[in-house]
Amino acid sequence: MTTLTQTPLERRYARLGLLLIAPTVLIFCAVIIYPLVSALYLSLFKVFTPTLESSWVGLANYRELLASGMFWSALVNTLVWTAGTLTLQIVLGIGMALVLHQNIWFRSLARSLILFPYFISTVVAVLVWKWVFNDLYGILNHLLMQAGITNMPVDYLGSMPNAMISVILVGAWKYFPFVVIAVLARLQTIPEPLYEAARIDGAGPIARFFDVTLPQLRDVLVVIIMLRAIWDFKEFDLIWLLTGGGPSSSTETLPIVVYRQAFALNQMGMAAAWAVSMMAILLVFMIVYIRKTRDKGAV
Amino acid sequence: MANVDFRTVVKSFGTFTALHGLDLSIKSGEFVALLGPSGCGKTTTLRMLAGLEFPTSGDIIIGDRRVNDLPPGERDIAMVFQSYALYPHMTVAENIAYPLKKRGVPKAERGPMVAKTAEMLHLTALLDRKPKQLSGGQQQRVALGRALIRDPKVFLLDEPLSNLDAKLRSQLRAELIELHRRLGRTMVYVTHDQLEAMTMADRIAIMEGGNLQQFAPPAEVYARPANRFVAGFIGTPGMTLMDGMLVQSGNGWAFETEGLRLRLPRLIDSAKPGAAAFGIRPEDVHLGSGDLTGEVVLTEATGHETIVTVAIAPGVRVIARIPGTPALRIGDRVPVTLDAARAHVFAAGPQGARLNHPSGTADADEAFNIATPLRVASKGVLS
Ligand SMILES: Nc1ncnc2c1ncn2[C@@H]1O[C@H](COP(=O)(O)OP(=O)(O)OP(=O)(O)O)[C@@H](O)[C@H]1O
Ligand SMILES: [Mg+2]
Repeated sequence: MTTLTQTPLERRYARLGLLLIAPTVLIFCAVIIYPLVSALYLSLFKVFTPTLESSWVGLANYRELLASGMFWSALVNTLVWTAGTLTLQIVLGIGMALVLHQNIWFRSLARSLILFPYFISTVVAVLVWKWVFNDLYGILNHLLMQAGITNMPVDYLGSMPNAMISVILVGAWKYFPFVVIAVLARLQTIPEPLYEAARIDGAGPIARFFDVTLPQLRDVLVVIIMLRAIWDFKEFDLIWLLTGGGPSSSTETLPIVVYRQAFALNQMGMAAAWAVSMMAILLVFMIVYIRKTRDKGAV
Repeated sequence: MANVDFRTVVKSFGTFTALHGLDLSIKSGEFVALLGPSGCGKTTTLRMLAGLEFPTSGDIIIGDRRVNDLPPGERDIAMVFQSYALYPHMTVAENIAYPLKKRGVPKAERGPMVAKTAEMLHLTALLDRKPKQLSGGQQQRVALGRALIRDPKVFLLDEPLSNLDAKLRSQLRAELIELHRRLGRTMVYVTHDQLEAMTMADRIAIMEGGNLQQFAPPAEVYARPANRFVAGFIGTPGMTLMDGMLVQSGNGWAFETEGLRLRLPRLIDSAKPGAAAFGIRPEDVHLGSGDLTGEVVLTEATGHETIVTVAIAPGVRVIARIPGTPALRIGDRVPVTLDAARAHVFAAGPQGARLNHPSGTADADEAFNIATPLRVASKGVLS
């Protein structure tokens, strides 16, 4: 209908529009659609990584994967890690943003310093944390023992549940600045009179947080949580470097299994099947994210 | 209901002093407007009363209680903000009920109170909407509702109508007057719009540069401005003010400026010769008869009246308010009378104190028992 009523000018604009969007579409296809399709394709083969020798196996990789207990334990690990680290990131992030929003004298310095964990490379961060956590000469054990809280060195990375807790803590430390910055930006736009009206209406600090601050943060928190959930879900380097998935496989998350399958077990096809399964789960996150953001645009 | 007292309240922001010792006594049930130009300290005064800002020194009293150290929630006041400050995620009903909720009024009691308030403010049909879905006037009513529902001792309003269009403003003005009459609560109303202050307030507190200039009923502020600032600030078009010298002439006084000599009645006893200012309101300047001659410089007709600017001496212009649309053209020469019995004389300086008694006031007649039919004498040095 609308095309029938298009004026020549509108048609010209439409053509120009297509022309302008074409490069983006091409690049999108090349870097997103192509790898996606080839991963799907690859997952239907048995591939030996070093030689890339392959033979068609159909859905056998998926059958094997779902039948093995490994998939489910890795999924549980991934969810525990994601939920744990994400919760801590959000709580720490909001808390720190609230602190930095106050008129404290070191505010601008603190605001820059807070970004430090987010900016430093994961490899460096992990090396530092491994030193901190080291059971023989780590500073943490040293301090705890000196303070008399423990009398034996604690094995932070080599035993459970310590390893999972340590990984979650380091993840929270590494990524909470992202939450701080996003929340702080939003905090600064909340009109001051809202707080003043709430004070006059008899709301104390806690009521003001729940009745004024939190509702205003809602939109930005939805976006932060979705983005961070996706990123944490597929986090690889931090966990890999910190525990390598261990002890045994107790911090082995899905991305680590994918890596192991592809480069340790040399099963590229199987790795692709794992990756595709992981993507299917992520798709749920993405759909929720898209729906949330679209709903907001519609109002 | 409660009276409100400011006792030599000083407020400084760092090195800048926004209020220099404010003394203000507001009676219980009174509607007081704080009026003044931008930056004079009106909002600061109101915010200190609300507890959102704390005085540097001095006392603030509500009822018989010194409230300096009380947080806003415990002062039993309600405030309407210029920006309305409605909670955006709550419905109209939730917004109005919020102060009750925070004071622990049970849900069952809140419902009927919200319904009653909404009805009073014509909001019943809008109770389920969010603030974003309301017009400015409706939002303003919700903000009023949130203030009214608690039945506080004192209502504080900071330019509540300034974001509305002229028509809505006059409508809400009438509603506020009616509301005040019905509730009889103390109201402190900040505005920079003198029309609002003049029409609504029982008394107007006129402020300038952090100082109270005059605190009096609207009619008195108009008829008897306490100083030159108030004289120039109140009234549109404003009073014509000219600088000159106060001189003794015979056993009376005269004012001299730019080749003009005006005889003055009713000066106060403490008046001294020297620099002074003479002021006359447009309605006290009459064209068509008189000893002075002026040249029409500008005419502005608004339909029911015409504002005429007349030059009566080189560099001396007065503004006259003439009913209807007189047949005057720019350049016309007209006889001019300044009704000096209704003139105002102030000491020199931007806030020079009043030096004469205006006509019709009790102490004026006491002080000057001479009903001088004063026409202004000119030395006839016109252009
Ligand atoms: N928080 C503050 N810090 C520093 N100076 C301030 C602060 N709040 C107000 N002031 C100053 O105090 C003076 C009075 O401000 P106030 O807001 O009371 O003016 P106002 O009379 O309400 O003016 P307006 O009609 O523009 O609202 C102004 O000069 C203002 O710059
Ligand atoms: Mg103000």
